[in-house]
Amino acid sequence: MAEAIGPVKTTFTQKVKILQDYSFLVADIFKLSPTVRKNWASVLSEMYLIGTRAVFLVLSGGLFTGIILAIETGHNLEKFGATLMISRTVSYGMIRELGPAITGLLLAARTGAKNTSEIGTMQLSEQIDALRAFGLNPVVKLVIPRVTAALIMFLPLTMIADMAGILGGMAITNLTFHIDLAYFWNTAINILEFKDIFVGTCKPVFFSFFISSISCFYGLLTRESTANLGKNAINSVVTSSMVVLVVDFIFTKVIWEIM
Amino acid sequence: MIELKNISVKINGKVLLDDVSLKVDRAATHVILGPSGAGKSTILKVILGLLPVGHGQIIIDGEDISSLPEKEAIEARRQMGMVFQGNALFDSLTVRDNAAYFLQDSGKFTRKQINEKVERVLAFVNLDGTEDLYPGQLSGGMKKRLAVARALLTRPGIILYDEPTTGLDPINSKAVLNLIQKLKSSGTTSVVVTHIINDAIMLGDTLTIIENGKIIETGTIKRILQSENKFVRDFFYEIYQDSSLLNEIEARKQ
Repeated sequence: MAEAIGPVKTTFTQKVKILQDYSFLVADIFKLSPTVRKNWASVLSEMYLIGTRAVFLVLSGGLFTGIILAIETGHNLEKFGATLMISRTVSYGMIRELGPAITGLLLAARTGAKNTSEIGTMQLSEQIDALRAFGLNPVVKLVIPRVTAALIMFLPLTMIADMAGILGGMAITNLTFHIDLAYFWNTAINILEFKDIFVGTCKPVFFSFFISSISCFYGLLTRESTANLGKNAINSVVTSSMVVLVVDFIFTKVIWEIM
Repeated sequence: MIELKNISVKINGKVLLDDVSLKVDRAATHVILGPSGAGKSTILKVILGLLPVGHGQIIIDGEDISSLPEKEAIEARRQMGMVFQGNALFDSLTVRDNAAYFLQDSGKFTRKQINEKVERVLAFVNLDGTEDLYPGQLSGGMKKRLAVARALLTRPGIILYDEPTTGLDPINSKAVLNLIQKLKSSGTTSVVVTHIINDAIMLGDTLTIIENGKIIETGTIKRILQSENKFVRDFFYEIYQDSSLLNEIEARKQ
């Protein structure tokens, strides 16, 4: 029995240690965040890499999500003669839930893999040791610029996905269910309340922080071999994606309870 | 002067260094010699404060930096330069930006001053004209010299070299050894980690032999060759076989 429990105990201890180390990193990010002023060039470069270069991905993700949502709900609503409700469904769905969630998941994969592999490679090639050897803090030089860039870029990217989804849904609804474009657009926009916009804009902020910090953490955790780098890149994407889904759920539940 | 007193390092239950003590005089070159995995690079990382020390003292110019708060330890670290085994160059930056990286971050110099310093130090390591190239476009020897240039730019009194000639062809290897000797003559204190006996004899004023995290012998090459320790005798097998080899290497040192 003790032999069977041993490895489980070790794994549990390791998980707790990882969580503890991640908490220390988050504390460092908050404590050292004013240093971002010294590294604006890095922030701008990261904004381009994780933001501008991801526009096509989130645009496509949002567009096809909106189209699929419109088709799926459209065919069901058609049975009740309620195809006029498609615009509401697409609008609510994209702004409150699917826009942020799809963008979060896509960026968890893209930004997560990028950050972990970059920082992990720097760890393996002793570049991070070099920074520390010359008295520089890797959190200041590498982590904070990436987190800041994500915080700035994820919201506009989510808004792009939201818009693409609504426009895609609008186009397919017009072609398939012959709903007037102007009616769809007016309903989709006018139906939105402050609560919907609030939820849709707050989620990306939380997603961006968790995705960027988790991916940087797994990069810094990389040791010894490229095999570990591969494992950490997978762990980074899986953990970030899970966190996106859990935070999405918590946010939705809490907001519905409060507002 | 660098002094390690009874240093022990244990990570994840594995003993990396066991009661290591050594002393390097100012402007001297000390070579740490031993097989792979013996703990040579760990000593350099301990001197730089990159690894937590379980027990012992690290004294740099009379000050125990192992007990300093993080901020002051960082300042103490800035007196040292390190040339990493894999060079640790930033792939996305040009030769100029790699060399200038730590100067730029200090915020103490203007762009013009930094450029002048970079040009001077690149000329010193024979890399003038490569300023706009990227590390990927350089040969192994050139990368190593760039790593030395980067370490030199902050004008450290101490430079630590981790396997400076490993993987280099004889010509590039000779160029790097000459560079280390040139720095030695300018008064820099150096600690060189290597497993190449010729390099160790050629560079070192004093040597330390290490195995499994423990110091086996330390002193001048003549003293070490008088050792009766089996590991030392096995390690210097070629020298014991042909004593003229030692004279030959020492002649090259001149």
